[in-house]
Amino acid sequence: MKGSPHITLSDVTVSRPGRTLLRGLTFAIPRGSFVAVVGPSGAGKSSLLACLAGLIPQESGGITYRCLQDCSHSPRNFQKRLGLVFQHLRLSRNTSVLTNVLCGILGQRPWWKTLTGFGRQDKRHASELLDALDLGGYEQRPLAELSGGECQRVALARALLRSPEIVLADEPVSHLDARLSRKILGLLKKGTHENSRTVFCVLHDLDLVNEFADFTLSLAKDSPSEWSLQSKVA
Amino acid sequence: MAPPLNAFRVTLVLFALAVLFSLPALQGSGRDLDYGANLSRFLGRFWPPDFSVWREILPALWETFQIAVMSTLFAGLLSLPVAVAAARNLSPRPVVVVARFFLNVIRSIPSLIWALLAVALVGANSLAGVIALTFYSMGYLGKFFSDAFESVESGVAEALKAGGADAIQSFQYGILPHAKPILWSQTLWMLEYNIRSATIIGYVGAGGIGVWLYSYQEFGRWDRFAAVLCAILAIVILLDFVGERLRSQLNPPPN
Repeated sequence: MKGSPHITLSDVTVSRPGRTLLRGLTFAIPRGSFVAVVGPSGAGKSSLLACLAGLIPQESGGITYRCLQDCSHSPRNFQKRLGLVFQHLRLSRNTSVLTNVLCGILGQRPWWKTLTGFGRQDKRHASELLDALDLGGYEQRPLAELSGGECQRVALARALLRSPEIVLADEPVSHLDARLSRKILGLLKKGTHENSRTVFCVLHDLDLVNEFADFTLSLAKDSPSEWSLQSKVA
Repeated sequence: MAPPLNAFRVTLVLFALAVLFSLPALQGSGRDLDYGANLSRFLGRFWPPDFSVWREILPALWETFQIAVMSTLFAGLLSLPVAVAAARNLSPRPVVVVARFFLNVIRSIPSLIWALLAVALVGANSLAGVIALTFYSMGYLGKFFSDAFESVESGVAEALKAGGADAIQSFQYGILPHAKPILWSQTLWMLEYNIRSATIIGYVGAGGIGVWLYSYQEFGRWDRFAAVLCAILAIVILLDFVGERLRSQLNPPPN
């Protein structure tokens, strides 16, 4: 199914109270693509991601997700299949790293199954993810003890634990050094190949954009209509 | 910044007026009494405290402690659901209004009245004390807990909800971990408070050390009364010390 549209935007307008950020967004992203979202701060990158995640409604236009069975879904109906990394992480500082990661599967388990904790299988999966993100052995550490870059990777692990179809990551590597940034983005990129996962990633470093992105969505500040989507392949 | 200053001035003027209108409360009987002599005569009866009754005091003190522990336990458990209902960030507005009204009503009834009700219900024993203080402290803990839930920053819970977690899950993993240290330290405070309350409800027969306070007072045995007061003071100081230690562990200073 790689290559068929995974997410389609038609004439989408994104606005925040009192100001239109983006206008006339129209494009289709094929399944398994890595989309870099770039632009100056205030251009609407985070708002666009929040719209795609169904957290704020778009002013007008349509956002449609297409599942493997070729059904259409609105962002809100697709939430359980999205993996979100927030710019301000929104992790629980008073709990362990492992519990924070495990919170990623809450939406996929009924509440009575998570009332007394998480299953062994889920814990193992979470540990493997932490290993892959260079955080092996951090499981029982309280989150408050971690550095900004470490927290960022915990947030990413939480998003990936649910094996999302689509990852929406707001600056997931802003606190990481070049080596670790490449490793993390490489991991996300691998998911696009192996699991036909589509990734939207807000990035600032143009070297990283050139290295990883299949598509680059550039936004401009104060000119809502001046967006552009460039494909690396084309 | 003019408005805060004005607000401060208004408060000051209102308080000054309140003081002016409240002065008659200091009038007393109007008769020419020797207050000093009265006080020394009365306190003289307290001295020296008669500790020979320790065999009666110690078990009663233990019972007071038991009443306080059990009522704090029950109040803590019962308060949790009520506090969730009373927290504006967790429940719909009509539920919040009802829950808060309920807590206000409970809180406005003094512990001694709760004790009277409970004694009428189950007789003059320690169970009455447990029932009375359970309801009494539920009014406080319910309010404290709901304030604690409301003070938690909503970001984590919203993030979990955005991932499809339901209300219970986002509460358990997004709100509760952050409120937990506050809940524990307030429960501890309630336990200390309940020990003090449990000493007084014995006056109406609801068990504990207060029963002895009442009977020594009735028989004018102020020396024994003083011994009981010393025992209460000792346990309150002890508890304050232990509580302070535990609380500083529960809420480590932010680094």
